[in-house]
Amino acid sequence: MIKVENLQKRIPMAGTQLEILKGITLEIKSGESVAIVGASGSGKSTLLGLLAGLDEASGGRVIIGDTDLGELDEDGRALFRGRHVGFVFQSFQLLPALTALENVMLPLELQGQAKAGEHAEAFLQRVGLGARTSHYPRQLSGGEQQRVAIARAFASHPSILFADEPTGNLDTRTGGHIIDLLFELNREEGTTLVLVTHDAQLADRCERRFCLEAGALVVE
Amino acid sequence: MSVTAGKMLARDWRGGELGVLLIALILAVGVVSGISAFATRLQNALTQESHRFLAADLVVRSSREMPAQWLLEAGQAGVSQAQTLVFPSMIYAGDDSMQLVSVKAVSSSYPLRGELTFSEQPFGAVLPVDGGPARGQVWLESRLFALLDVAVGDTVAIGEAEFTVAAAARTEPDQGTSFGGYGPRVLMHYEDIPATRVVQPGSRVEYRQLYAAPAATLEAFRQWLQPQLEEGSQRLLDLSEGQPGIGNALRRAERFLLLAGSLGVVLAGVAIALAARRFSERHNDYVAVMKSLGATSSRVNRLYGTSLVLLGAVATGIGCFLGWAIQSLFFKLFGDQLPVQPGPSGLRPYAIGAATALTCLLCFAWPPLRRLGQASPLRVLRRDAPLENRRTLGDYTLGLLAVTLLMWGYSRDWQLTLAVLAGLAITVLLGLVLALTLLRGGRLVGMRAGSIWRLALAGLQRRGTSNAMQVVIFAMAIMLLLVLVLVRTSLIDQWQTQLPEGTPNHFMINIGPGDVQGVDRMLRAQDIASEALYPMIRGRIMAVNGQDLPTTDDEEDGRRQRETNFTWSDELPPGNRLFAGQWWQPQSDEALVSVEREFAERLGIEVGDTVGFLVGSQPLEARVANLRELDWQSMRPNFFLIFPPRLLADYPATFMTSFYLAPGDKPFLNQFVRSFPTVTVIEMDVVVDQIRTIVNQVSAAIELVLAVILAAGSLVLVAGVQASVDARIHESAILRALGARRSLVLGGLFIEFATMGLFAGLLATVAAELSVFMLQEWVMDMRYAPSPWVWPLGIGAGMVLIGGLGVFSCRRVVSSPPVALLREL
Repeated sequence: MIKVENLQKRIPMAGTQLEILKGITLEIKSGESVAIVGASGSGKSTLLGLLAGLDEASGGRVIIGDTDLGELDEDGRALFRGRHVGFVFQSFQLLPALTALENVMLPLELQGQAKAGEHAEAFLQRVGLGARTSHYPRQLSGGEQQRVAIARAFASHPSILFADEPTGNLDTRTGGHIIDLLFELNREEGTTLVLVTHDAQLADRCERRFCLEAGALVVE
Repeated sequence: MSVTAGKMLARDWRGGELGVLLIALILAVGVVSGISAFATRLQNALTQESHRFLAADLVVRSSREMPAQWLLEAGQAGVSQAQTLVFPSMIYAGDDSMQLVSVKAVSSSYPLRGELTFSEQPFGAVLPVDGGPARGQVWLESRLFALLDVAVGDTVAIGEAEFTVAAAARTEPDQGTSFGGYGPRVLMHYEDIPATRVVQPGSRVEYRQLYAAPAATLEAFRQWLQPQLEEGSQRLLDLSEGQPGIGNALRRAERFLLLAGSLGVVLAGVAIALAARRFSERHNDYVAVMKSLGATSSRVNRLYGTSLVLLGAVATGIGCFLGWAIQSLFFKLFGDQLPVQPGPSGLRPYAIGAATALTCLLCFAWPPLRRLGQASPLRVLRRDAPLENRRTLGDYTLGLLAVTLLMWGYSRDWQLTLAVLAGLAITVLLGLVLALTLLRGGRLVGMRAGSIWRLALAGLQRRGTSNAMQVVIFAMAIMLLLVLVLVRTSLIDQWQTQLPEGTPNHFMINIGPGDVQGVDRMLRAQDIASEALYPMIRGRIMAVNGQDLPTTDDEEDGRRQRETNFTWSDELPPGNRLFAGQWWQPQSDEALVSVEREFAERLGIEVGDTVGFLVGSQPLEARVANLRELDWQSMRPNFFLIFPPRLLADYPATFMTSFYLAPGDKPFLNQFVRSFPTVTVIEMDVVVDQIRTIVNQVSAAIELVLAVILAAGSLVLVAGVQASVDARIHESAILRALGARRSLVLGGLFIEFATMGLFAGLLATVAAELSVFMLQEWVMDMRYAPSPWVWPLGIGAGMVLIGGLGVFSCRRVVSSPPVALLREL
């Protein structure tokens, strides 16, 4: 379960403090799929970064399971992410010098898993890229790159998957396929899914949604 | 399985991220170990070659007989030995003929190094020979045959012993180091000395013990021998004293090689720092993804630390091989020109190469990579999250320390290190001024894509800070290269002017006043160009400012009464330079004297002091009018003491001169000594040829080293250009996407880079002139002269090289579709 209490984020700008999140409180149950929606600049990605432990809050708490992320330093959060969290990003974030297979192997290698290669290959098969394992990101289409990113996100069997505009860089048809794949794997793996999107249709496929406006949650 | 450093390096290599870093490291190790090995081997070869001028590896000289025990010790230590004794004596042939000669008695093993030559007849064909005359025989210098009216096979007497004339003595390897008086040379066997009974205690003689052995054995023996020597009376001779011409040429060449190697190290260090920074910038996203996937800072540090170690190991291995190949190539290019085989270099140059790699990695490459551990994982969500690439004061301090350490460690010379650091400091300071000037205008111009010039100048200003940094880097590289080119040019020029074709290779002394016109006429008749005829008076320096100098004859150096040659002149002779004081007016009646600077230092004489002399039995006092520096390598007649002509007019003088004689004109000497039997001719042609051979070889080596360093400098320029290519390609790709013509984009880029090249060239030239001034005056023992040609060279090369490299590195921007480029970056 993800529990967020009065979460705040401020950044210094031009001599004052710019308030990006203004005391967010919410709860997400295990296995649940939720969408965070809102206009550009409403604070969606900032909230996602805080929930995933990629950033430090200015106030409030994020508790995942028994762990209060605010009590961990960056290295502690990194270990936590490695064990519990998976990511899918709008810009894919594949490493250009690594092949598709090596990109998927990366989180497994970081965890010191044996047979990372076999495991990664199996996941690439599951996302339909069994024949493209030795290709580099630049040799893959946008949809294929996002499928590699999804395989990488699920390969380490995370308990929570964070997805930041996963179809933002894709056309509608490809985006649709990607979302199908994401929900299918999510169901099979029993993962909690937290998804940031502009797309109302995509948000509708989630069990619940939170709407952000100017850094605060609004009731829809 | 975990992410290993090896795998990461392999992946980076495939992705093309490692290229410049690895090449810079390999080049650093290669240049340092290659030049070091080359210098060591060349030094060995040249030292060996130069030992020919001592006829040994080590010589002890004394005016008294030295313990025979030393020779026994040497024998036991595996060191070869020989003995010589030089003394003046009369030689008699028949009842009427006699002549004062300089006798040199040599033991059977003489010479230990180099070559003794003789001819079967006077001035005949010169032949090499293994040893000197057999017992009971003598070899006479060619002109003595005419003076004594003897032929090969006749009998002559020295003291109470009689000898058979067996051959003509032509050259001794160490004749340049021991004129031993001014009579013609007679060679005899060392063991015949007692029979002559001419060498008595108190005789003016010079004993030498000669030793030769492999370096390590000899060094051990030297360590043993040194404490046995009596201070003052027994001295070890080294090459520089024996043959200043060669010693100086070698010392300067060695310094040049050290300078070149040090500059190579600095250049490679800068290239490594640039490449590592770019590598770390490009890895920021890599680390952000790894951290989002669970990698901790320490794990990232471990990963990159291990990568550097692996990279260092690979680069050291390949670099050492490259170094070995470079020095082998150098010696291959020399072919058979080297008179002796270069010995092995040992492992030290390669150890220096490895130490360089380690220092470069720790001080230049590690600081930017260490910060990768702090990279924010937030960059996976937000591209504008800050990059961990700020250089800190600590980085600069560490870099400066490393440059100083590397240069000093390599050259072991603080003056050299400081001279180069001063040049670098000037470059950085001027670069900062430039940066402030560029930034002061603020953002006055936008993209200004209307014309090539406006586009380029707007680009220059927009990236003011990073451009200024780049200009400093370019300027540093160009400055170091200019320093090397300048020093090399003046070094080689100086050598060539010192020993140009037609350098005097014979000296003529003891020309009586009555013979001066005749000698001059005979030289002219043969079309032989000679220096002016200088008067020469033998005298003794007795007192300074009324205080008598010590009389100890045993002491070689320092303040003591000593005999030397005086001359007179109304003008400062060619090749002399006033160091302090004034030259006198022509026809001066004053009692003045001009003293050579080092001679004055040894005697503690300054301008204005009164010095007392003894000429024959007549005392003479003169005030020191000036101190002179002179060029001992010029092969011209040189004098410690010069007086105004009127002062010495009443003293008996002989005259001397030097002249050039081509090899084919040698028989002229036979004719000459018959006409002027009392004139002494000293043949220096062999020595001059030897000096010229060595100088030519060293010059060729210097050209090769320069080429290697130029390659290292080019790498810095490439790394420097690459550092800013991403931003420029990004901007240019947008311009292309918006329809900019190829000529606008490439023209704008060329002007932008060439303008930076212009600034860099200007800074570099100013700093290089300063650095070269310091290097030449302090380190190379040379005189600085400004080089106007370096200004257009530095600035022009800066513009063309950097402009060209910039356009070349960004050429993809007009050959690839803009979308592909934008997606890549």
